[in-house]
Amino acid sequence: MSWKWTRTKWWVLIIIVVVGIGAMIFTMNNQRFYRQPIGQVITVHNGQSHRTTDQFKNIDHQTSQRLTVRIMNGHYQGQTAKVSNTYSDSQPMDQRFYHGNQIFLSQLHANKRGQLMANASGYKRDTVIVFLLWMVVLLLLVLMGTSGAFALLSVVINGILFILAIVIDLDNQGAHVLLTFGSLALAFAAISLLLVLGPNKKMLATLLATIVGTVISIMVGLFILELTHHRGVYYESMQYVTQVPRPLFIAEILLGSLGAVMDESSDIIATLFELKQLNPAIGRWQLFMSGRNVGKSIMGPLVNVLFLIFMADTFTSSLLFLKNGNSWGYTFDMNMSLGMVQSLISGIGIVIVVPVVSALGALLLGRRKSA
Amino acid sequence: MSSIIALGLTLMVCMVAVGGKQGWRSFLSLLLNFGFLFFAIVLIDFHVPPMFVTLTTSIIILAITIFMGEDDLRTTVTAFYASLIVMMLVLALILIVTHWAMAQGFGQEDSDDLEGMSILIGISYLKVSVTATIISILGAIAEAAMAVSAGLSEVLINYPDVDNHRLMASGMSIGRQIIGTTLNTLFFGFFGGFLSLFIWFLGLHYSFGMIMNNKILVAEAIEVLISFIGVLLTVPITAWVMTKRRGAIVDNQAKQK
Repeated sequence: MSWKWTRTKWWVLIIIVVVGIGAMIFTMNNQRFYRQPIGQVITVHNGQSHRTTDQFKNIDHQTSQRLTVRIMNGHYQGQTAKVSNTYSDSQPMDQRFYHGNQIFLSQLHANKRGQLMANASGYKRDTVIVFLLWMVVLLLLVLMGTSGAFALLSVVINGILFILAIVIDLDNQGAHVLLTFGSLALAFAAISLLLVLGPNKKMLATLLATIVGTVISIMVGLFILELTHHRGVYYESMQYVTQVPRPLFIAEILLGSLGAVMDESSDIIATLFELKQLNPAIGRWQLFMSGRNVGKSIMGPLVNVLFLIFMADTFTSSLLFLKNGNSWGYTFDMNMSLGMVQSLISGIGIVIVVPVVSALGALLLGRRKSA
Repeated sequence: MSSIIALGLTLMVCMVAVGGKQGWRSFLSLLLNFGFLFFAIVLIDFHVPPMFVTLTTSIIILAITIFMGEDDLRTTVTAFYASLIVMMLVLALILIVTHWAMAQGFGQEDSDDLEGMSILIGISYLKVSVTATIISILGAIAEAAMAVSAGLSEVLINYPDVDNHRLMASGMSIGRQIIGTTLNTLFFGFFGGFLSLFIWFLGLHYSFGMIMNNKILVAEAIEVLISFIGVLLTVPITAWVMTKRRGAIVDNQAKQK
């Protein structure tokens, strides 16, 4: 693929930029599409801040704010309302508001003198998401071209399937969590690889290796968990749980590791094809060793990718536990044990897939030579 | 024996069996990363400025992940330089976006877990969220840099005379082949972990508008999208660093022979 800036490419770029700016302007002015009233802060009066201390000697400061907001949508559009708000220095669940901020209002009502009063119930954040989405799309299409478009498509389709799976799961009241998410994991893998690699040998080899690797790792993981009677794994510390935690957790591991195993398989296969293209006479054994070499150097970083994703999520709550006078051990158990189990089982899958995919790749490419 | 230790030992055995000495080092890198991650939390707990902790921990984690994942200096040095450049770019973006989105700390959905906790800890949750966000995507940046760099090293070893233009094109070509699955890794890595949150949203019939402005979801979406951006930037930057460092790589190769 050439790097020349063809006319079509310029047009695509211009369209993305225009659409992006349009989307940003839309989200800045989409208040009338919200049912919940939104107000823009026009004046701010900060009160005296006072010191707070808890039993763990954490010192913080709380400040009350009196805000005037202009309501931007709904029945009271154009009128002003008084909002009182309290924020702290650390801002865990509260927030300091400034002139120009847009906030969601709750309990909007007129008091006896006809003055509108409301509470601040949230901050309008949709513009940020749209901005970042736009940046991702721009970079994907400009840097990666068609491959980027397919990657984007596969993420979008996966997102839709993901939501679909949850709807199915909710319809069953969470009765068949593993069946639902297991079969969807298979669909995810097939569709993503088809879109990313196209319908060819490369894709089949990657898919096969992905399935074998994932199934083995989940089996091994479950076997070890049973063998050790789930000791030190605190399923009750799972967040936002509305269904039976254990199968849900296994579904999370399955989905979480699936992408990484596909990633590694296709990295190895991609390099094998690149080598094959540069030297069509390359032998099977050489391919296998090259594959294993790439796999060997990728598996460590890849295990770390998932590990850091899973563990960084526990960062804030772990800090809170430490600040509330808990020991390191208890903090680990209550915040990090699940992330750790998830990382380890995913890691086992990532390692097992290396020899599997190298052998498959070598066999496939070798056969092509003799044909 | 606790399940975590048993699983850890199994992973160690697998890694050594597949990767030999290098597998053992990969396992150690995982342990060290855990150690530094936990240490970072403890440092912030002791009121060390979060930005300082972020920078030092990030550089250490990148170094561990890259240099212990692979002993071939041809691949690792390039990957390390490239990921440092990307890290600084991404950190700047994170600083802008987190201050814009104000999605730090906890959301209303966390209320149950926070019962009985004192949340006013006197440390800016915004700064902590910057730390957590950058740490969560370091692995992805390192991995992409390693993949491109390893692929290009193989190309350079087999074809030392390939010109810079072709090398850059090979880098982008490897990038194109890995980008789809890399994005899927991140997508599933992040959203697989938040399966229960989505079940919560859909089960309680949150409207689209509520979800798009939800503090927890926005914080999560920022992590995913910035990690996408980080990985996308990594591909050309790694290929570019490789064109600058090709001399060192070919020389090393000649010496080893």
